[in-house]
This record gives sequence, structure tokens and C-alpha cells, in this order.
Amino acid sequence: MAARPWHIAALTLGMALTVWAWVLVGVTFGLRWSSVQRPGPPVKELFPYGEMRVGVDASYPPFAVATATDLFGLDIDLGRALAERLGVPIRFVNMGYDGLYDSLKADQVDVVISALLIDPSKTNEVRYTFPYYNAGLMLVSDANRPIPTMQDMSGRSLAYEFGSEADLVARAWLRRIAPFATRPYELPTYALEATRLQLADAALTDATSARLYLRDHPDWVVHLADVTHSLYGIAVRMDRGRTWNAVNQALQSLLDDGTLEAIIGRWL
Amino acid sequence: MRAYILFSILGSLAPAPPRAPLDAPQTVETGKRQVCVHTRLIDEVFEWKIQRSLQMTREMGADTIVEFFPWAYAEPSKGQYSWSSFDRIVKHARNQGLHIIARMGLVPEWARPDSATRQTTLNDLPDESFDEFADFVATFAARYAGVVDHIIIWNEPNLSFEWGYRPVDPAGYGRLLQATYDQAHAANPQVMILAAPLAPTLEPVGSPNGLDDLLYLEALYQAGAADYFDALAMHTYGFTEPPEAPPAPDALNFRRAELLHHIMLEHDDPDTPVYITESGWNDNPRWTKAVRPSQRAAYTVAAFKWAENEWPWLAKLCVWALRYPVSTFSYPDNFTLITPDFQPKPIYYAIQVYARGWEQSEDLWLPAPGT
Repeated sequence: MAARPWHIAALTLGMALTVWAWVLVGVTFGLRWSSVQRPGPPVKELFPYGEMRVGVDASYPPFAVATATDLFGLDIDLGRALAERLGVPIRFVNMGYDGLYDSLKADQVDVVISALLIDPSKTNEVRYTFPYYNAGLMLVSDANRPIPTMQDMSGRSLAYEFGSEADLVARAWLRRIAPFATRPYELPTYALEATRLQLADAALTDATSARLYLRDHPDWVVHLADVTHSLYGIAVRMDRGRTWNAVNQALQSLLDDGTLEAIIGRWL
Repeated sequence: MRAYILFSILGSLAPAPPRAPLDAPQTVETGKRQVCVHTRLIDEVFEWKIQRSLQMTREMGADTIVEFFPWAYAEPSKGQYSWSSFDRIVKHARNQGLHIIARMGLVPEWARPDSATRQTTLNDLPDESFDEFADFVATFAARYAGVVDHIIIWNEPNLSFEWGYRPVDPAGYGRLLQATYDQAHAANPQVMILAAPLAPTLEPVGSPNGLDDLLYLEALYQAGAADYFDALAMHTYGFTEPPEAPPAPDALNFRRAELLHHIMLEHDDPDTPVYITESGWNDNPRWTKAVRPSQRAAYTVAAFKWAENEWPWLAKLCVWALRYPVSTFSYPDNFTLITPDFQPKPIYYAIQVYARGWEQSEDLWLPAPGT
């Protein structure tokens, strides 16, 4: 007996509904499962020495500076906040900048928090967290005469530190757009000062120099625009995937509740 | 299969890297024959980048480069030579009218100690391999005779790291010079053998890291090594001090070279020329041994002037470094004169103005606002 057309349609619809129902159940279960707070790996597994050993080059204010008895700075505060979130004691290991990666590889430290530029060529050797700070170049202009981007510099004047990264970027832009006047200064603070005093239309400086200058000149209202990105991340040993994951999550929680911004604001 | 064909077609559409045909032979226009730069060409992938680097060296007004020629690259198996990576550097340097000071080092695996018996590194040259190293230097000297006539034997042997993580050994290094010297001269009578530059360091006797360069050089002379080098290479960095800062045994600065030269004089060796094969300042904003970019440019030019006026015994002053093939994402990038993508830094122009005797048309930077 030949099947009637409405039987086939009903059968197809039934199957589709069944599949859809299973997909719905699966997705709902998956979402619930992923949102369930499960205990992470024990601290001993994340940090085999019972503490978070942090490699830092404490010679780079305001990120890390050493006194005879103590370390302080943005990276030091960040490390302490992370350790608190992770529920683990912290110990800083102060060393030269050139020894940071080697100390990680040699298992002398568990993580490196030291204004570390994320280096794509090292991503097969270490794991980086997501960036916690952008130290790249900023275009700083007066809020009353804002200059949104480098493209808008044509016909204007740009101050920067002679010989710095900003100098190179300014020269590169001069080859791309209609000319602008260049104002090289000996220091980035001079470039910012020149802009504040209207001797230049904008200053191109690294974000840290700009933030420090603006902290000292709170009355100057500026327009800021990112021009390049120099991202600082925390490095973890390649074979410590769980540690990396835990540090990343802790960093994310510091970002979500505003703690990270508060730490940055404390120093910059 | 279709995907393979598609990717093959797309791959073939990728532009070929620029070729690097030789220019008409060039000559270096310079008024300062001491100006020299250390290049980093051996690990460069593309030949056109080697050529461009050397063109920019010539245009800067340096007539000499220092370049590393690793033994391990040229003789990967004993007696089996592969010269292509060396040839393309030599070919383009010659085409640009540049002299080459060749630095030798990096031990091939077959000449290193058995890694099963002890931890070994690429700088680990046991005494029993000295003759094999000497054979290689002689082969190199013969191959490039008349083109490369300055050869540096090893690098910074006063650092444990550079001596294969063994305790540093001036007498042992002296034996390496001895093993090499006669063979190299037999292969190329014009060759000038340079004793290795020592790392500027204050490491005391017994340090696992190395030995103070002044102590090491003294020990090298006492070991009788003076008969086995024609010139002495030096490394001298300014770190945070200007070039005029006075030298002292406990200070690392540019004029430390004078203390090394004084040791040469004490050993009645006044006529042996000196080649400073690495020098300069770093302008990284975070490194504690760095200066500001403006200071770096000013100090570097002042160092050339100091050497020209005060150091008649100096043959060349070579700046570290022209360019790296890729960024290091760290402070070493701030030793270079041009970026990996060939953008000259202002210090490049400052050296060019000095070397070529051009008039500096205007100040390099403006006075501080409000002054």
C-alpha cells in the first residue's frame, strides 16, 4: 500500500521536532554545565612549590621598583591581587630583564609579571595571558582641538621624543599622508608640554609617559587616541596549561570587578 | 583534490621575493675611516635584505662591517663544506665596496663533546677539537683570501657562556689562538688574526659567570698568547655614561678600552692595532643600562670623535648593530640603527652626517618648551 502524502509530511515533521528537541536539551545542558562553578585544580597542582613564584625585573618604574627591603609598583600590586584571588602565597623573584624568560624555562619561577611585551615569536615557548595593559603610542591633543587619528595630522604639527618609537612612527606617517610639521623634543614630557602650551597640535608618546604627565596636569583636558599597541601580558610556562588557565581567569575577574583598572590608576 | 589544486594555484600567485642582482661595483664615500658597523646578516632569509643592509651601510659612510661566520653552518659534517650562506654575504659586501671583519665561532655538533657524557652548548670547543677549528679557519682564510683578510678568533671567551659553560681559561684560549695562527697565515699570508674581544665585565676571579676583562687580558698576555694574534679586538659599551667619562677598573664605560690598551703597553705591545668590534649605547626606555635616544645619538657621535682624536692606536670603531632580521621585542632592539623593515632611526642619520662630513643643517631636537 502506497504511503499517503500527509503521512510522509507528518513523519518528517515528527523527526524534525525530535531532533530539534534533542538539540535544545543538549544546548541547555551545555550552557548549564559550563556555568556550574566547579572547584578548580588544587593549588598544589597549579603551583607545585606551594606559592606563586613571580619573576620580575624591579628596575622599571612605575611597574616594578626595588628598595633595599621591598618591591613596589603596578606589577607588584597586580601579582598580589592575583595571588589573593588564587588563594596562594606569593613570592617575588627580582632579576634582570634578560633573565626573565630563562627563569621561567628553568622552573625558577611560575609566572613572569614584569611589563612583558607579548612576543609572538615566543608563543611556542611560553603561554601569555590576555593583555592587561597597552603601552603603545597615543596621540594626545587638547580636547578643545581634538585630533582623532594620525590621518588627521596633515597640515598640523606633531611633537614627539627624538629617536623614539614615536619618531619612527611619525616618519612613517609622513610618507603616507599630506605633510605635517614635526617637533622633535629631547623627552616625551617636553612633547606633551609643547602640546599643552599650544606649541604643537598634538603629541605622540607612549601611553605610560602620557598617563604620568596627565596625572601631574589634571586640569588639562585632552583627547586620547591609540596609534599603536604594545601589549603587556603575564607569561606562564608552556607545560603549565592549568596554571595559565587559572591565572587568566583570575586576571579576568580582576578586570571584571574593576580591580585591574584601580591598580593601573593607582600608578598611572 | 580540488582544494589541493586551489591552494596550489593560490600559492603560485604569491609574489616572489625581490631578486638581488649585483649593482655596478660601489665605493664607500666617507671622511671617517674608523666608522664601522656590526651586521647581523648570517641568519637573514632573503638575499635582497642582505643587499639592502649593505647598501645602507655604505650609504651611512661605514666602509667596514663585522659579521659572524658560524663554523657550524659551513661545516655541518666533518670535511663537508657548505659555503652558500657565507658567499652571498661576501659577494654583496664586496659589491658595495665594504671590507669584512669575520668573527668565527659556533661549534658543529661533530666537534662538540659527546652530549651523553656532559652538558654541552654551541660554544663548547674542547681542546681536542682545536685543530679541527684551526682547519676550518684556514679553509675559510684561503677561500676568501684578498676579500676577507681580518678574522676574529672566537667571541668574549671571558664569559662562561661563551666558553661553553666551562670555567673561563685564558691559557686555554691562548692555545686556541696558537693552534689557529700559523695555519691561517699559511692559507692566506695577508690575513690578520684578531684575538677575541672580551666582554666588559667586573666578574671576580672564581665567578661561575666569567672573569673581569682586564684580568683576563693580563692573564692572556702572561700565557704568552701575544705571539699568536696580529690585532686585538675589543668590546666597549658606554651603558649610562657619556663617552668622556673617565675609565676605572671598577667601572664599565666607553673608555674602558684605554685600560685594556694600557695592559697591551705594559706588555710591550704598542704596535698591535686595536679593533673595537662592538660598541654603542642602548636607548630602551626600560633597560637600566640604557640612555634616552637623544643621548644615544649624541654619545655615539661624540665617541667617534673621541676615538678619532684620542686613540691613535685604534683601527676601527664598530657600532653594535646595524639591524636585526626580526624584532626581539626586548631591549636589544634598541641597539640597532635601522629597523627590521629598513626604516633608519635618527641615530643612523647622525652617524651618516658625521661619517660623510655633512653639515648638520639644524639641531636634532628642539629646546624644552618654556626655556
